[in-house]
Amino acid sequence: MAPLLDLANLPDADVVVLAQQGRGEAFRELVRRYERPVFSLIYRMVRDREAAEDLAQDTFIKVLNHIDRYRPEFKLSSWLFKIANNVAIDALRKRQLDTISMDGSPHAATSSEIEASSFDVEARQENALDELEAREIGSAIEDAIAQLRPEYRACILLRHVEGRSYEEIATTLDLPLGTVKTYIHRARHELRELLSHLREE
Amino acid sequence: MASEASSVDHRHLLPNEFDLLLDGDVGFGVVPLKAHVRKCARCRSELEALQELTTVLDELPRFAPSPEFANAVMQQVHVFRPWHVALRDFLTGLVPRSAPARVLAGAGAGGILVFFGLVTAAVVLRLDLIIFSSSLLADRVRTGALQMGTDLVATIGGQPAMEAITVTGGPTAAIVVTVVALGSAAVLALGLMAVAARRQRAVR
Repeated sequence: MAPLLDLANLPDADVVVLAQQGRGEAFRELVRRYERPVFSLIYRMVRDREAAEDLAQDTFIKVLNHIDRYRPEFKLSSWLFKIANNVAIDALRKRQLDTISMDGSPHAATSSEIEASSFDVEARQENALDELEAREIGSAIEDAIAQLRPEYRACILLRHVEGRSYEEIATTLDLPLGTVKTYIHRARHELRELLSHLREE
Repeated sequence: MASEASSVDHRHLLPNEFDLLLDGDVGFGVVPLKAHVRKCARCRSELEALQELTTVLDELPRFAPSPEFANAVMQQVHVFRPWHVALRDFLTGLVPRSAPARVLAGAGAGGILVFFGLVTAAVVLRLDLIIFSSSLLADRVRTGALQMGTDLVATIGGQPAMEAITVTGGPTAAIVVTVVALGSAAVLALGLMAVAARRQRAVR
C-alpha cells in the first residue's frame, strides 16, 4: 500500500511514521526534503564542501538510524538542525585554526586573548583553495558570514536562511531565548560592519 | 503611550528597538519607534541599512550536495521493519488483487474458519479429557522444575546447601532459587540499562 502513497505531499510527521514502520522510501523522502537545508547550514559553518558533505551524511545517519526515538512534539527539522549544528561545531573545534573568528575566540576576555585567538583573514584569502571556495560561494555576504563566530553564524543562518523563529532557534540550539536574540543582534551588527564598504560603494 | 513616545523622541533608537522593527513586530510598542524613524534621519538611515542586510540574508540560496548524497546516506541507514508491520504486509500480500480471486480466497478462508470451529467444538465437548491431560502435564512440569532447582542449588551451594534444604525442606529451596533468579535478573537488567545509556549518548 505504501508505494502508492504520494510521499512528497505528506507532512513530516506522517513520513516519519512510515519511516518508523521500516519503509525505505520514507527514509529517502526525508533525505530529499532536508538534504539542501542541512548541507547548506553545515557548509556555511565549516566552509569546506567535502567536509560538509561528510558531516551532512553523519547528521542524516544519526537521525535516521534513531528514527524510532523521534518525539512528535519536537519538529523533525529542529532535530535535524540540532544534530547538524552539533556535528559542525565538533568539526570546527577539531580544526579550530581554520575557522576561528576574525574577532577572536568568543571565550576571550581580554584584548590580548582576543588578539592571540584571532587570525589574519587577508592572508588566508590569498590561499588558492580559499579563492576557489570564495568563487564558488560567490559573494561578500558569504565571506562576511564566514567571519562570524560559529554560534552567531548558526543563529543568523537559522533565522534568515531557514526562516526559524527565535523560539525555535533557542530550542534547536539549546540556548536561552535572550541569548539567541543577543547573538542575532550582534551577528547583524558585525555583518553590517563587515559589509559597510559595499554600501559606501 | 505619550511618555513612551516622548522618551523615544529625545534620543536615537536602541539596538533592540531596531531589532523589533526589523523582525516586523506589531503592537503598541513599535508605534512610537516607527514615528521616531519617520522624523529622525540618522535612525532612518540606520534602519534602512539593516533592512538591506536582512533582505540580502533572507535571499541567500541553499546549496545542493552532490547528486550521490541520498544514495550514500541510504547505504548507511539501517531500515528496521517492526514484526507487526512485516506481518501486516505479509497478510496484505496474500490478498489477491482481482475481485473474483478475492471472493474465492474469502470463501476458502471462511471454510477454514468453519473447519477449525468444528474442531474446537469437538474438543470442548471432551472437556474431562482435556482437564486430565492438563493436570498430567502440569505435574510433569512441576517435577522437572523441582529437579532443576535442586540441581542448581547443588551446583551453586554444594553439599552444605543440600543438607540445609534436606533439614528445612522445600521452602528453603524455593527461597534459594528465588534469590538466584532475582540476582540473575538484576545483572541482566543492569546490562540492558548500560546498553540503552550508550545508545542514548550515541544519538546526542
